[in-house]
Amino acid sequence: MNTILQGKVVCVALNDQQQIDTMKGLFEQAPYQALPTEPVLYFKPHNTWNQSNSPISCPEGSGATLVVGASLALIIDQTCCRVSEKEALNYIKNIALLHDFSLPEQSYYRPDIKGKCIDQSATLSESVPLPELGALDQLVISTSVNGLEKSNFKLSQTVRSAPQLIEKISHIMTLEKGDIIAFAFAGKRIAVAPNDQVKSVVGSTLQLENLVAGDK
Amino acid sequence: MKHARIEHLGQAIDVTVNESGDLVTATGEIIEQSNAKWLSPVANPGTIFALGLNYADHASELAFAPPTEPLVFLKGNNTLTGHQTPSYRPDDIDFMHYECELVAVIGKEARNVKREDALAYVRGFTICNDYAIRDFLENYYRPNLRVKSRDSLCPIGPWLVETNDIKDLSNLKIQTHVNGELTQEGSTSDMIFDVPFLIEYLSHFMTLKPGDLIATGTPKGLKDIQPGDVVRCSIESIGTLENPVLSEHDFYAQR
Repeated sequence: MNTILQGKVVCVALNDQQQIDTMKGLFEQAPYQALPTEPVLYFKPHNTWNQSNSPISCPEGSGATLVVGASLALIIDQTCCRVSEKEALNYIKNIALLHDFSLPEQSYYRPDIKGKCIDQSATLSESVPLPELGALDQLVISTSVNGLEKSNFKLSQTVRSAPQLIEKISHIMTLEKGDIIAFAFAGKRIAVAPNDQVKSVVGSTLQLENLVAGDK
Repeated sequence: MKHARIEHLGQAIDVTVNESGDLVTATGEIIEQSNAKWLSPVANPGTIFALGLNYADHASELAFAPPTEPLVFLKGNNTLTGHQTPSYRPDDIDFMHYECELVAVIGKEARNVKREDALAYVRGFTICNDYAIRDFLENYYRPNLRVKSRDSLCPIGPWLVETNDIKDLSNLKIQTHVNGELTQEGSTSDMIFDVPFLIEYLSHFMTLKPGDLIATGTPKGLKDIQPGDVVRCSIESIGTLENPVLSEHDFYAQR
């Protein structure tokens, strides 16, 4: 089923327990002072929505390496306001894969607008009905670059599950039909270069492929 | 010219506001304010940018050094609510404060725009009250969405004023009154990064689109807000945005 990015596209950072464990020492120091106690969220705004999966451009001039993260994307099916974890999945009918191309993150202290708001940097796969995927926490997202697997993220290692996050987020903001929550990024994003082919899959059910544009 | 959007007889309509405060439809019909509910003056708001610590006096009030680069964060469109419609104070918190801000509304697509040309990309200006819940701050993507992206906690309006109708953008008086008492006073002359700079800055690394909003930060003068309070944010040459504050329970009960 075809799906587009629309409404609010909410991404969850630092939801990989392994990343939290690795960075614990750093996060207990300034400027963080303590581990996060609530989900760490950011938006992908409308200039980032790459509806046609056209090649992803590296930002000009910076010489910066682009990184990509892949996540499952929960697609909200009806207005979702202050729901409980128990009823949360009733508000999701379909699920897809999302790629977030961004600049490498040096710090989590301030919102990373420059890094996360690159034009045309978010893509979404076709979606499938939630039941086709089975239990979410048993899934694995595999991402490869030019055919070589670079990341293999087990959803069993998320800090918070999809239902827990829907409860938390829907108590901050009312979610509307078509809004998206991308909640399962591996902590370590993958560096990509011009002309790289990026492909993420979840079993044989979901897949998303993007090309990084060549040098101009 | 002042442009507003109202709900009248169940329909959202665009109106202008004339000298005597009447609402005038495209066909010239006049609607009294008492028969209209104010909506956000921007029909399809896009990305909502907001600035933190963009007035030096406010930065020092919060014990921060003024930033050397704009501190920009994004808000969801669930935060917007019209003039005279309610916001709410979450239960079990200690400190929620208003932030009266000048808002630039982008009128055409902008990419790599120079500051000298920036105002040509602005459709006009309005006012917002970018509430913050300080209890919910954490040192991750600060200020985070839990602080700054809550339902109804960014009243906006009452209307949009065309850029030409504003005498001097860089010297507008800003005032907030809570229950009639003056609690915040400042001037856009104390803004650290002004609107042309912000448009140049943002459009250098991303495309701004029509309907995008840039809320430019607030001057000094914070005060805790409680259910029952009525908060009025005024900016010279634009107008006054007034909103009541409900308890969390009452707010969601009437939604």
